[in-house]
Amino acid sequence: MLETREVSKHFGGVKAVNGVSLMVEEYAIVGLIGPNGAGKTTLFSVISGALSLTSGRVSFEGADISGHRPWEIAEKGVVRTFQTPRGFPRMSVLENMLVFASERTTGFWKNLLAGGRLSAEERRNISRADEILSSVGLLDRRNVLVEELSAGELKLLEFARPLMAKPKMLLLDEPAAGVNPALLEHVVTYITQLRNNGLTFFIVDHNLGFIMDICDHLYVMADGELICSGAPDAVACDPNVIESYIGTKTETTV
Amino acid sequence: MENFVFGIVTGSIILLGAVGFSMTLNSDHFVNVAHGQMLLLGAYLALYFSKLTGNFALGAIISVIMTGALGMLFYAAVYRPIKTKGPLILLFTSVGLSYFIWGIVGAVSGSQTQAYEIPAVRAIRVFGTPLITSYELTIILVAVIFAVSLHLFFAKTRQGKLIRAVADNHDLARIRGINPLRRALYVWFIASGMAAMSGIFLGMISSIDLELGWKQILIILSATVLGGLGSTYGVMFAAILIGLSMELGILILPSHYRSAIAFAIIIIVLLVRPEGLKSVVPALRGRPVESDMESL
Amino acid sequence: MMPGFVLFLISSLTLATVYALVALALNFEAGVDGLWDLGVVSFFAAGAYAYAILTVGPPDQMQVYRLGFGLPLWIGVIGAAGAGTLVAYLIGRASLHLKHVYYLITTFAFAEVIREVLTNERWLTNGTAGMYRMAQPFKSSFETNLYPLVLLLVMVAILVVVFIALNRVTKRPFGRALNALRENEDLAATAGMAPYRYHLRSAMIAGAVAGIAGACYVWFNTVIVPQQFTSSITFVAWTVIVVGGLGNNRGAVLGAFLLILTEDVLRLFDLSSTVAVRVASARVAVIGLILMAVLRWRPRGVLPEKRPRFSRSEALVPAEAPAQGLQQVGSGE
Ligand SMILES: Nc1ncnc2c1ncn2[C@@H]1O[C@H](COP(=O)(O)OP(=O)(O)OP(=O)(O)O)[C@@H](O)[C@H]1O
Ligand SMILES: [Mg+2]
Repeated sequence: MLETREVSKHFGGVKAVNGVSLMVEEYAIVGLIGPNGAGKTTLFSVISGALSLTSGRVSFEGADISGHRPWEIAEKGVVRTFQTPRGFPRMSVLENMLVFASERTTGFWKNLLAGGRLSAEERRNISRADEILSSVGLLDRRNVLVEELSAGELKLLEFARPLMAKPKMLLLDEPAAGVNPALLEHVVTYITQLRNNGLTFFIVDHNLGFIMDICDHLYVMADGELICSGAPDAVACDPNVIESYIGTKTETTV
Repeated sequence: MENFVFGIVTGSIILLGAVGFSMTLNSDHFVNVAHGQMLLLGAYLALYFSKLTGNFALGAIISVIMTGALGMLFYAAVYRPIKTKGPLILLFTSVGLSYFIWGIVGAVSGSQTQAYEIPAVRAIRVFGTPLITSYELTIILVAVIFAVSLHLFFAKTRQGKLIRAVADNHDLARIRGINPLRRALYVWFIASGMAAMSGIFLGMISSIDLELGWKQILIILSATVLGGLGSTYGVMFAAILIGLSMELGILILPSHYRSAIAFAIIIIVLLVRPEGLKSVVPALRGRPVESDMESL
Repeated sequence: MMPGFVLFLISSLTLATVYALVALALNFEAGVDGLWDLGVVSFFAAGAYAYAILTVGPPDQMQVYRLGFGLPLWIGVIGAAGAGTLVAYLIGRASLHLKHVYYLITTFAFAEVIREVLTNERWLTNGTAGMYRMAQPFKSSFETNLYPLVLLLVMVAILVVVFIALNRVTKRPFGRALNALRENEDLAATAGMAPYRYHLRSAMIAGAVAGIAGACYVWFNTVIVPQQFTSSITFVAWTVIVVGGLGNNRGAVLGAFLLILTEDVLRLFDLSSTVAVRVASARVAVIGLILMAVLRWRPRGVLPEKRPRFSRSEALVPAEAPAQGLQQVGSGE
């Protein structure tokens, strides 16, 4: 479904991503791990169009999307989240959801001339948002400003928000960071459930327990390059992986 | 030739204003619109003190020192307490301060155009052609002295290097035993004092009126942008370039477009080469250099 | 005959209406959307001059402008809105790829260049001598001494219509999209929004409204000269929306009326003209102090932006999620 071929992104001399080729199959949950600075976030940014590529190709559903703008890629159904969740700080939780609604009429004239307080479309979007919010446990906080949320709540919103866009594929950057174990379990079930309903996931995280638990396939990056890949239990034994984690991220490795 | 000399003089005046402005920009990361009014303040204080003392040079020196001190005061009383509230709040606070200074100067001195009482001088002749007056020469010399001594300070002295090295990092500054408040106060004193000089020199070559600060701040902004935000040497170079193009440009364009030339230059620079300039001060944009999206 | 101070009050309120319109325009692009535009006066001037040139008659002997179409007033107003939109479009096309400080400086510079052009291209604007005898709405249908009140009512009507329209759009998905872009442009892009397109539209809407404000300004002054369009208009508009509450349309209107009232209270006293000049300056100093004080102690303005609250849709199945399981956890980075 998603394929990168020899993708590189260099910042001056820094080869943040260097010749990465990988594949994410439809309806899969694919993980990407690697020590800090490995280039995971940069790879996500390149795929989602936030950063231009230095070289290589990215394709989605067989079509070349390299060099496309972020909103074009989002429209195609690939939505990414950000490692440091900020949301739209001075808007309410519900509004944060509505911004991402897949059906929204944002034309100036249409908005100006439409009668009534709330359009039918808005009402549909609100009830969909409420459903998603309730499934992650944020329904009570729907009218709260995002800047007032706790870090954990923010992380959940980060996960819930893109669902409004009815994406085909989600790129999640560290969804488990800062989420407590009880809640994490819930997130795991929710992700699996969404996958069964036809979503594809590509997930970066440092929490090995979580990643092993959830992924069908795993890629490992270090210093901008892919060092190995395979089924989660096989990869975990690979000395390369152990080495790249030793001393760097042991504390978050469950 | 006349235009060329005058271009250098204009450029030197812009330089004194723009270097100070860019120092405050680097040190506190916001657009200090009130810097223009420091030029106004300097020009009027010099007027007042030279009348009081009967000596123009003395009045000018008093004005430079006083304006510098007021700059420190404004920093400590107005900007520092809201330093953490983001560049937009600081920017509009500086607009408020501009109104305040402008209003006070206007209330005290009235709105008529005024001039310094300095004797008219003849241009010094070089090979028989009148080339430059002693006032103009003084202006150029002062600008050169400041440019060179700032360069020496930053490049050669330990204090200067340290200031540059820790410009953005107050924690590091504290570790190195630099008091960030004291460092900022130095910066604001020097910047405001130079603004006063720039204002006084403007008054020497023409006259002073209440709009001086507003007119000048845009030209200063132009020089700062043209030079690349954050680069002191770039700004010095850009100031001279703008001064020259304003004075030489009127050989081609109608002379009433003199100041429009400066603005046209920055519009063109920003439109043609934004990438070259904007990579300089990431802190100003409130987010890391990361995103290529900005170039849209 | 109306007493002097009533006339004075009417004139102040009329001017406040013009400022309120400019402030609403600026608030839409800078408060609802997040553009740091330091050149709204460009749109305002474009609207005013478009109105003047479209409606004014041919020049008399003293005047040197060439155009002067003498068209009906309503065409002038449409032309004003159109000119404001066009200028906003052109400046936006050129500079919207720049961010924050760079955008601010470019729009500022554009405003100055435009003013210089208006000052110097006398064939178009009659230069600093200006154009006069401007057409005013319903002028001939009312007695001269009643007319100021009529003009005020006309402008208030325009303000009300503009306010309702902008406020409506602000609260609907279009306004919400602009809010989102203001808050976090990178994130908004992942929702499928092309930032540039939205910014351009919000600037053009601001241009249209400021253009109409320009026509109103001409009605108010009945003469038009380039000196009326310095960047101080921009700074006043910013002061108004910052004090009123950035992003809040009500705040913009309230701010405009507050500002004009503060300015004009002192004018009520009889003052000799030399003193008057000084008092005028002192007033500006007071406004500077107010601006600094608001930013320091009430940085979100007198009427801070409010977010809409939506009531819950249907009786949702009680959340099966462990809402109580949420804890304040560090972000883990
Ligand atoms: N905008 C940038 N300019 C220069 N270098 C950058 C930029 N963004 C990232 N880098 C560098 O690229 C490398 C990869 O960074 P990246 O954020 O992709 O790592 P990561 O794998 O996501 O790390 P983490 O686990 O800490 O999130 C790092 O060395 C980083 O310093
Ligand atoms: Mg990362």
